[in-house]
Amino acid sequence: MRKYVPKGNVQKKAYYTDRFHVVPRVPRNEVEDAHFASVVSVLKADIKESYMELGQLVIHIDNRSNFDVIKVLKEECGYTQCSEQSAVDYLAQDNEFELFWQMLNVNEAKRVRVVCRLPQGMAIDSIESLFKSANFAEREMFDMFGIKVNNHPFLKRILMPDDWEGHPLLKTYPLHGDEFASWYEVDKIFGKAYRDIIGPENRDPSKIDIEDTKRFSRVGYEVPFGGEYNSDTKEEIEYSDTFLVNYNKPKSKTLDERR
Amino acid sequence: MQQVPNKLTPFFENLNFERDDNTMVINFGPQHPSAHGQLRLVLELDGEQVVKAYPDIGYLHRGIEKMAENMTYNEFLPTTDRLDYIASTSNNYAYALAVEKLLGIEAPRRAQVIRTMLLELNRIISHLFFIATHALDVGAMSVFLYAFREREYAMDLMEDYCGARLTHSAVRIGGVPLDLPKGWIENLAAFCDKVDHEVEHTYEALLSQNRIWRMRLEDVGVISAEDALNWGCTGPMLRGSGVKYDIRKEEPYELYSELDFDIPVSDRCDSYGRYRLYMQEMRESTKILRQLMPMYAKSDSQLMAHAPQYISAPKEQIMTQNYALMQHFVLVTQGMRPPKGEVYVPTESPKGELGFYIKSEGEPYAYRLKCRAPSFFHTGLLQEILVGTYIADVVTIIGTTNIVFGEVDR
Amino acid sequence: MAQHQVNYASTAGLPIALTSVDKLVNWGRSNSLWPLTYGLACCAIEMMASGDSRYDFDRMGTIFRASPRQADVMILAGTLSKKHSEFARRLYDQMTEPKWVISMGSCANTGGMFNTYATVQGVDRIIPVDIYLPGCAPRPETLQYAMMMLQKKIRKESANMNKNTKQDLTHQTGKRARLI
Repeated sequence: MRKYVPKGNVQKKAYYTDRFHVVPRVPRNEVEDAHFASVVSVLKADIKESYMELGQLVIHIDNRSNFDVIKVLKEECGYTQCSEQSAVDYLAQDNEFELFWQMLNVNEAKRVRVVCRLPQGMAIDSIESLFKSANFAEREMFDMFGIKVNNHPFLKRILMPDDWEGHPLLKTYPLHGDEFASWYEVDKIFGKAYRDIIGPENRDPSKIDIEDTKRFSRVGYEVPFGGEYNSDTKEEIEYSDTFLVNYNKPKSKTLDERR
Repeated sequence: MQQVPNKLTPFFENLNFERDDNTMVINFGPQHPSAHGQLRLVLELDGEQVVKAYPDIGYLHRGIEKMAENMTYNEFLPTTDRLDYIASTSNNYAYALAVEKLLGIEAPRRAQVIRTMLLELNRIISHLFFIATHALDVGAMSVFLYAFREREYAMDLMEDYCGARLTHSAVRIGGVPLDLPKGWIENLAAFCDKVDHEVEHTYEALLSQNRIWRMRLEDVGVISAEDALNWGCTGPMLRGSGVKYDIRKEEPYELYSELDFDIPVSDRCDSYGRYRLYMQEMRESTKILRQLMPMYAKSDSQLMAHAPQYISAPKEQIMTQNYALMQHFVLVTQGMRPPKGEVYVPTESPKGELGFYIKSEGEPYAYRLKCRAPSFFHTGLLQEILVGTYIADVVTIIGTTNIVFGEVDR
Repeated sequence: MAQHQVNYASTAGLPIALTSVDKLVNWGRSNSLWPLTYGLACCAIEMMASGDSRYDFDRMGTIFRASPRQADVMILAGTLSKKHSEFARRLYDQMTEPKWVISMGSCANTGGMFNTYATVQGVDRIIPVDIYLPGCAPRPETLQYAMMMLQKKIRKESANMNKNTKQDLTHQTGKRARLI
């Protein structure tokens, strides 16, 4: 029987998990720091949940209020840099993406992570008019997850080619790529007719093809470089446990030079 | 021989090179000797002036973030070498620090000293590479040769420590794999003297007052402090615009809180100011390295943190104790399982703020790993600062941003 | 009269003794190999290092050229992504004959550690490769060694070789096809 692979998430899974294994959680603390407390009080209306995680403030907001929250953070709380923004794919579990914005206050050296959930198919508001750095970051998010961004000046693929199919960082996208990805360069350069000639990609790094006499040679079956595969019976070779003991030298063929 | 037609029609052939408004479109890259890798720029020119610049990236996209989701935490570490391949250890370190923070462990003192040493050595390597390629792009060939000469000495030091010239993997999650070899500290001291001497008597002597160098760099690539923050600039790009923000000082990690060093800042906002900044940073790095040498002698010999749940015991224990061997076996075959949670850890890499965002679901594989690469945002900046400059200054500006495509495209 | 027409282009029949011409031409070709600086990723840094102060590639008659029109050897140094692959093929097509290709580093040879959707699994899928140089990243000495191996290979070739006969992209035996 074929092994069952959940379609919603084709990434690698732990092959064995102890059934008594309990996953602990990184501690989430109350907001105690004076600066962060003031941030939370300013944004009180929009915040669904707020806590400290490993020294940074995390605030969960509604996906419709991301622009307003980040605007308040920039203009009132001094978060003048948006370090990073991206998404996490939770489509298989909740049919949602989790989006985060990593904000930096340069004067006080404080960092806040703004997190929101976005159902599949919905678009998020761009913060490009607040932070220009979001221009590339949102394009990357669109490219990698297919999340549409409203009011973005130039929403286009950035890392993948323009004619690429699929969004690579989705959990449904396999690491080795789909059918389209595996033939992309052949189709592009030579055309589909050359697929047969060039052959499929080798994704197995330990693959051995004994009929390929260009890349592999075998003791006892010596053929010149690129010659015909030799399937005759093998010369007798005597091995000890680990070493070659007696290689019948007069009988064996000696090639001038394999290459 | 008859030419067989093929379907080779890249996108730039579809561009309209003649416009009604008398501007010309020029394609720059993705394979251009001064594009610092695989940057492709589509420039719209009015005469010699750039009207519009459109950076096209992704020519080195290798799916590193996807690989992180399919590799255990320790497996992924060598992959981080290939992000910013000019200063590999800083990537290894940033990643290891993020995972350590997630696990809640801290590297022992000696590992911290060695890591800080390697980070600063990598900063010198990267800055030497910056001055070499930047000078070559602007036209100063001999600086290129001199800077690479010194860089080879630094590479020798790295090679003595970890065996590799470029892809170091010199940091592990929880510490460092090896102690410093014999005589390394002495070589490092000699190298520090050499760098200080060369910075003053070769690079600065050749460039700082050089008329051509100053003409080509002064008032070229001007970024105001506000723009730099807005575009997500970090590191020397931000400090070159007068914002004094260095993560080593402001959010200290490793031993930086104990070390005495200055943060050079330039308020010139142009390429020349940034060049001076890089030179000054190399001096600060040697200053840090000199302070670290006595710290090394005073530290304990433990190299890896003691956290049996996550980190294998030292080899002697694995060879002699059954329980340590079992732990090692489980950690190697299944991988460590950090607690559920998310972490973002910024570090100051030679290029700027290099941060790893890791979302863990308690599995041996990261649920999501996002690498916040400084060069990615510096590339985005190009579409703003290239506008209005002349075509000859384009390579200067690309050089001064010091972008590395391994981490831009990931 | 023109009874003994020699088709110089299609046959290997040059009108004088082939061996000496071969040797002469190959001597010239092999000792002034000008590579195209085709640095793609990490290996490009080692390629630069091999052209620099300590390793000094110039002493082997190897001078890096930035234009494919002036280059004989394409040193494909680094990961070739799928997005970039068409440009690699174009640059190869733009090089003048005779031309050779060194695939430098594991990524260029087989895709290496980047066994992902975005990486070409070996540049020999799109351009014919003469020398595969393993390593991640290969040291500058090994690049120089690869260059010497290429010189050795060139000295063995026929001077009037028709490059098209050796551009065989098939990996499977049995199937033979020629790509331009």
